[in-house]
Amino acid sequence: MWARHVRDRRPFQYVVGNEHWRDLVVAVRDGVLIPRPETEAVVDMVRNVEGFADGWWADLGTGSGAIAVAVARELGPEGKVFAVDVSEVAIEVARLNVQRYGMQDKVEIRHGSWFEPLEDVKGKLMGVISNPPYIPTDDLPRLQPEVGWHEPKLALDGGKDGLEHLLHLCEGLSSVLKPGGFFVFETNGNKQSEFLVDLISTKWSSSFHNVEAVLDFAEIKRFVTGYRR
Amino acid sequence: MELIKELRSKQEEIEGLKSLVTNACEEKDMREMAAEELLETVEEEKRLQHELFRSLLPKDEADERDCILEVRAGTGGEEASLFAMDIFRMYEKYAQKNGWKFDVIGIMESAVKGYKEASGTISGPGAFGKLKFESGIHRVQRVPVTEKSGRLHTSAVSVAVLPQADEVDVQLRNEDLRIDTYRSGGSGGQSVNTTDSAVRVTHIPTGTVVAIQDERSQHMNKAKALKILRARLYEIERQRLHMNRSKLRSEQIGSGDRSERIRTYNFPQGRVTDHRVGITHHSIADVMEGENLDVFIDALLLQEEMDAIASFAA
Repeated sequence: MWARHVRDRRPFQYVVGNEHWRDLVVAVRDGVLIPRPETEAVVDMVRNVEGFADGWWADLGTGSGAIAVAVARELGPEGKVFAVDVSEVAIEVARLNVQRYGMQDKVEIRHGSWFEPLEDVKGKLMGVISNPPYIPTDDLPRLQPEVGWHEPKLALDGGKDGLEHLLHLCEGLSSVLKPGGFFVFETNGNKQSEFLVDLISTKWSSSFHNVEAVLDFAEIKRFVTGYRR
Repeated sequence: MELIKELRSKQEEIEGLKSLVTNACEEKDMREMAAEELLETVEEEKRLQHELFRSLLPKDEADERDCILEVRAGTGGEEASLFAMDIFRMYEKYAQKNGWKFDVIGIMESAVKGYKEASGTISGPGAFGKLKFESGIHRVQRVPVTEKSGRLHTSAVSVAVLPQADEVDVQLRNEDLRIDTYRSGGSGGQSVNTTDSAVRVTHIPTGTVVAIQDERSQHMNKAKALKILRARLYEIERQRLHMNRSKLRSEQIGSGDRSERIRTYNFPQGRVTDHRVGITHHSIADVMEGENLDVFIDALLLQEEMDAIASFAA
């Protein structure tokens, strides 16, 4: 087991089956992305949204379910999170984590791709959260072995510019969010964030306002956030 | 106000009892009982007067707070780190005796498994009020276990006790903080996976730096670092206010001057001496067990009170 960790560069979190993330111990296993510390900030951004506690939220590409569980734990009696993922393994692990923190009543897990399983709640969501695959396909071979050799391509590969899924998410946003609704996406960094902010605030300026890039602790523009008009 | 009312009623009671005692026509038993009661009541009255007087003295509003304890090995190399560990544990035991909660924040070990640096939070009623006098240099004289030839060493450990501050006391503005993590550099995010969650927070206006690495997630390390940062900034502000006030007072103890040598622990002679109140306690083992620290603390509290009364009268 340790030989695999050291020689094959298997991530430590897969060896022990857990990752410490915020104040949670999140179960992880081969086939789901290990939640990253940068993403911890997403939960704080959600908490800063006025009236967030009683809204309905969607975590698209929930993976281990870390974001969904952390947000659910902050919600009030009316609040709810739809945790969506296309991967069977992710659904299984997310369910485990939801149970681990007793959030079955607050988190509804749905199997499917991005917005597809959310037809029935269109226009009712207070917020959409996503940490989609955003690494450009060309960069995949150069990733550190722990990531490139062991973590699921499905959760990392963002297509040609890494923007394939992010763009899909941006396009679907306006139909699922209710007026005043909030969104936050994680991106690969400055280039992607700047591109998305520019795109949304020009092409879709009639639908969104206060669109901005948010820095992570390394001063990289890691997130894009904004509100539906 | 409550105290004044109570004091008044005691005084009335005394008057009544006096008249009973002096009234010769009462029975002998009755007179004796009254006399006894009179003595008790007079004692009571004294206590109330004292309490009333104390309540009029300016109080440090931080006294009731929880506190953060920081112990650092000073001069004396490895031996100092061993003594830092002993001191840290002494406070842990003292906290337990007082029914306070003691949580270790972080320990940096030395080569001989002593503590280069250690910090913890102590929570419970009046924790800061009692421990605030512990800030300063603690000197130790003993033959270290690391010493082969049996020579006596003198080394020193510095202790800082800070009252805890919350978001209301110290408001940290995001633009005043710089947060560094080991993930700085490179593209970060999904591209990187490490298990290092250390966080270093810098408060830019004061240059105060707090680094925390013993929690397992970055989020938790950051939360802890901010807690300590708040306490440090609160202490800076308190010191500033204190300086303003103490200009009016000549003598000052428990000023929290970190460079002041406050106490000596002499192991060969089995004594502990507090240099501020000039008290020596002859059972060092008890002190190290957190037993008789109150001997010093009570004396220091009394002196603080006396100083306050003196400045009050002046």
